[in-house]
Amino acid sequence: MSDRPLHPRSALAGIAVPGRYGAPGSEPGVTIAERVGLGLATVAARKEHGEALKQAVANVYGIDLPEGSRIVQGPRVSFVGYGPGQWLAVSEALDGEALACDLLQNLKGLASISDQSGGRTVLRIGGPRARDVLAKGLPIDLDPRAFPLGSAATSTISLMGVQIWQTDDTRSYDIALFRSVSASFWRWLTASAGEYGYEVVGAGGA
Amino acid sequence: MSSQPNRLAEGGAIDRSKTVRFSFDGQALTGHEGDTLASALLANGIKLVGRSFKYHRPRGILTAGSEEPSALVELRSGARREPNTRATTIELYEGLEASSQNRWPSLKFDVMAVSQLFAPFIGAGFYYKTFMWPAAFWEKLYEPMIRRAAGLGRGAGVADPDHYEKAHAFCDVLVIGGGAAGLAAALASARTGARVILCEEDFRLGGRLLAEPDEIDGRPARDWVEAAEAELESLPDCRILRRTTVQGVYDGGTYAAIERVNDHVPLPPAHEPRQRFWKIVAKRAVLAAGAIERPIVFGDNDRPGIMLAGAVRVYVNRYGVAPGKRAVLFADNDDAFRTAVDLAEVGVAVAALIDARKLPSAAAQAAAERAGARYLSGAVIKRVRGRQGVKGVEVRDASGKTESFDCDLVAVSGGWAPSLHLTTHLNGKPQWSEALSALAPGTLPPGMSVAGAAKGAFGLGSCLAQGHDAGAGAAAACGFTGGSGKASAAADNDRGTVSPVWQVENSRGKAFVDFQNDVSVSDVKLAAREGFRIPEHLKRYTTLGMATDQGKTGNLNGAAVLAQATGRYLGAVGTTTFRPPFTPVAISAFAGHHRGQDFRPARLAPSHGWAKEQGAVFVETGPWLRALYYPLTGEEPQDSVNREVANVRTKVGVCDVSTLGKIDVQGSDAGTFLDRVYANTFSVLAVGKARYGLMLREDGIVLDDGTTARLAEDHYFMTTTTANAVKVMQHLEFCQQVLWPEFDVQMVSVTEQWAQYAVAGPRARDVLQAIVDPAHDLSNAAFPYLACGNVSVGGGIPARVYRLSFSGELAYEIGVPARFGDALVRAIMEAGAAYGIAPYGTEALGVLRIEKGHPAGAELNGQTTAHDLGFGKMLSTKKDFIGRYMAARPSLTDPARPSLVGLRPLDREDRLRAGAHLLPKDAEASAANDQGHVTSIAFSPSLGHWLGLGLLAHGPERHGEILRAYDPVRGGDVPVEVRPPCFIDPEGERLRV
Repeated sequence: MSDRPLHPRSALAGIAVPGRYGAPGSEPGVTIAERVGLGLATVAARKEHGEALKQAVANVYGIDLPEGSRIVQGPRVSFVGYGPGQWLAVSEALDGEALACDLLQNLKGLASISDQSGGRTVLRIGGPRARDVLAKGLPIDLDPRAFPLGSAATSTISLMGVQIWQTDDTRSYDIALFRSVSASFWRWLTASAGEYGYEVVGAGGA
Repeated sequence: MSSQPNRLAEGGAIDRSKTVRFSFDGQALTGHEGDTLASALLANGIKLVGRSFKYHRPRGILTAGSEEPSALVELRSGARREPNTRATTIELYEGLEASSQNRWPSLKFDVMAVSQLFAPFIGAGFYYKTFMWPAAFWEKLYEPMIRRAAGLGRGAGVADPDHYEKAHAFCDVLVIGGGAAGLAAALASARTGARVILCEEDFRLGGRLLAEPDEIDGRPARDWVEAAEAELESLPDCRILRRTTVQGVYDGGTYAAIERVNDHVPLPPAHEPRQRFWKIVAKRAVLAAGAIERPIVFGDNDRPGIMLAGAVRVYVNRYGVAPGKRAVLFADNDDAFRTAVDLAEVGVAVAALIDARKLPSAAAQAAAERAGARYLSGAVIKRVRGRQGVKGVEVRDASGKTESFDCDLVAVSGGWAPSLHLTTHLNGKPQWSEALSALAPGTLPPGMSVAGAAKGAFGLGSCLAQGHDAGAGAAAACGFTGGSGKASAAADNDRGTVSPVWQVENSRGKAFVDFQNDVSVSDVKLAAREGFRIPEHLKRYTTLGMATDQGKTGNLNGAAVLAQATGRYLGAVGTTTFRPPFTPVAISAFAGHHRGQDFRPARLAPSHGWAKEQGAVFVETGPWLRALYYPLTGEEPQDSVNREVANVRTKVGVCDVSTLGKIDVQGSDAGTFLDRVYANTFSVLAVGKARYGLMLREDGIVLDDGTTARLAEDHYFMTTTTANAVKVMQHLEFCQQVLWPEFDVQMVSVTEQWAQYAVAGPRARDVLQAIVDPAHDLSNAAFPYLACGNVSVGGGIPARVYRLSFSGELAYEIGVPARFGDALVRAIMEAGAAYGIAPYGTEALGVLRIEKGHPAGAELNGQTTAHDLGFGKMLSTKKDFIGRYMAARPSLTDPARPSLVGLRPLDREDRLRAGAHLLPKDAEASAANDQGHVTSIAFSPSLGHWLGLGLLAHGPERHGEILRAYDPVRGGDVPVEVRPPCFIDPEGERLRV
């Protein structure tokens, strides 16, 4: 039995089915893609080791840890600040548990690491109407004047706790939510995006 | 059917090329695009549109806006039927169905209208006086009677089929109102580059500019509106929200607004909401809400055909409708008499201008001349002829002589009052303005300025200038000092002498102050005589201003009548408080997306999909949906639970326990920290071991319990009960951040990260050994009771195993990253098939723990101490911890406190009920004899009878005693035997095999 592999399953498997939905039109107003297989881990600085941690992160991951609610993207690992001395590490290169293992090895004694790769669903919401959709749940201002590139925030959408950050282009946002509310979130998201037309991109989970 | 007999041949902002069909009380009618229901009804010559609330008097259309008190109709049918919608704000759409309210059998012949005959007996305070006694009559007689007789319209009675949503918006400047002042403010602020939101209640921008033949910058005002709209549309950071009413002002520059996205179409298009509830956060706001015209109070002033003068101009100039064939004007200001000219220009005969002011006005006289009408100054309407519609008026002139005029339209005006409601939502008090003869905005909410008619500037030129200045000023306050462009200019109309007339004395018939609640002058006077001298008291006693219109057209007149009745200066009488919402808001709009299954988010466990496949029945446990039991085809719930329990006791079962709160506690002081927050000790727990822990509140009462495992020197893994997970996390964070910030300890919730399953029963080890990768030895020697450790499953997937048991059987909990949770439970089921595995739900979980005497939610009820629950020995005496000293208070350690016991029925066939009171065997069932209660009960398939846990005074000393379990609610009275709480394997041998 034990040699039988266990397959991961997205909380949106069977729910987020790729395709074009909502109001018809040439270009969908919103695109939704689940970022499956991401490495996610919380990093909390040990007491009196904040500076050493920054140094270590700079050495190992090649970036300066952000102060405040910001995301700093590294070549392999990005860090999203969500509290004093607290970050969510995000990585495509180090997927699943690999990120937490890597952080544990490299930051031992400097930070407390907890794997969260299974505990979050991360969606990338983009398209010309992405901000209009998010405004239907998110009580923060996403206008570039208030939320410029590299911003991050911890907030709620439709009564569900989320972390949001903006990465590359100005029209798309990453939203991390608790895995258990994924289905509820999806119902809110699709009800809100319907009027603009939306496209679910990529496999919702294997 | 003659089509729209009162529609003018030309003029107005309607599209005559587009005919819209609709029905009123089943009658097929037509209107045009751009009409409201009110304007279309008037175009069809329909003036009688409803019956009043209390007296069922025939009512028509008084206004042309959201302040309408009378023209309330039921809109749509079936599940979308909506009562009390104002005909004056309903945009006409193809197929619109409306019907009148509060009449039976028909609008023209209403049986209940006889209640008018009893009017003298149902005056102010009628309910208070009449229905006081006997109290028993309330429920059976008075209330049903009142409910049948009163109330306007009927709710749909079924769920609203449409979707509603909420949305957030942020801006520098929020402009409330899209009339002259609002447009000027929006232009001035948006031109600076500030982020601007303009909210307009109407479906069209322009406000009164749509209803007046004014000029701005030397061109027709309507052209100016179009140009302004186009310019605002072209600015990237300006957003125009039409059909949007700002309903309330809140702290921090927060405004609530309702956008009626699809109320103007038969059905909302697919994927679109009907309404959107906006929460707008603005650094500054400009209130340009305009003004509301005040009626003059006179006898039978509610007859259909009596309309505010400003509204008459709206119907004539904006909608191209003649609201009558022959008009009389009755007013106390020159602005209103302009209406005569507008009417005459479209061919409506104007019989007379009745000027209530003592001194004649040249402007009014000129208007009368242009309209070819008689002009009577110092005159009042003494009597109105016609019941279901005005047929004429009798006028008493300055000399006391009476003259009669035939007419079917009476245009009334007592002048305009600023629409200042939003300025009072944060406790601002309006101030009486002698110059305006009205209340003007007083102290304003932080960040708000007021411009135009809302501030009492009724001239168009002033509105434009004030709007521009307020807009530019608001933008500048946000740091936008760029060019705000040139202010537009227009002339101010001369309002003439203001000498307000509030009511006509000695006129015939009931004189209404509040049309919607049928409050008349005599009601106000009666209330004053009975000592209700303050508007707030008057309001409660007479219901003046308590209808859905909040007295927009009636409050000021009410205060004036009260002032007169009590011999006081009107400015000193005061006013009532305006509260949000400004206009009625549908409950669905408040609910938004949060209805039905989305009332609140549901948390689904990692095994949810699999459990559903198994046919599990789910139960809400806090925000979680958990499997309650897993019935086989055709199996009764109790049989399913019995089977699941027996399977755990004799073979092996699996249960998803992922919903328990899980917290990683790390850092070099983690052990010391846990010693402080737990009553027992954790710093000495060996790595690779787990322990049950008890947490107290500061006051010594039990907060929560759970197991905590030590995974490394500086890493503990804590579990909490499902219900208390958030509370415990908050408690720990408070302790860490406030009480002991010096500790090196970090906490993070990992509840969502781990899918965790309890595998319990004599064959649990066999199943689990088959699940973990071969390198891991789970034998009793290698992995004894309370051991824990990292393992791998499925060929290298990291997992954790804890040898813990809630059921009292050999048991383990195994955790994997949640995305493998679905695969793991399937693997466990497959591996366990050979051993007779079956899943068990929370119901079986409860039975298993009651059989074992473990306290849970019903016992950890926020009132019990460690001693009460039999955990007294766990309270460490060697260290300090939260709750230690308070738990030692004599009253909390008194053995007479109800403490945990087991209970079983003396007659094993008897059923126990949770909540039953425990009384001495032969004692009378009285509160004095109450010694405790049954907290949890279960049918024990292992023992074949019901058993329970309870909290009993001196409990542990009374094992073997027989008591009464008395349940007056469900009629139970069962002799029970007091036992130790643990009924199964009290030595705990099965745990350690």
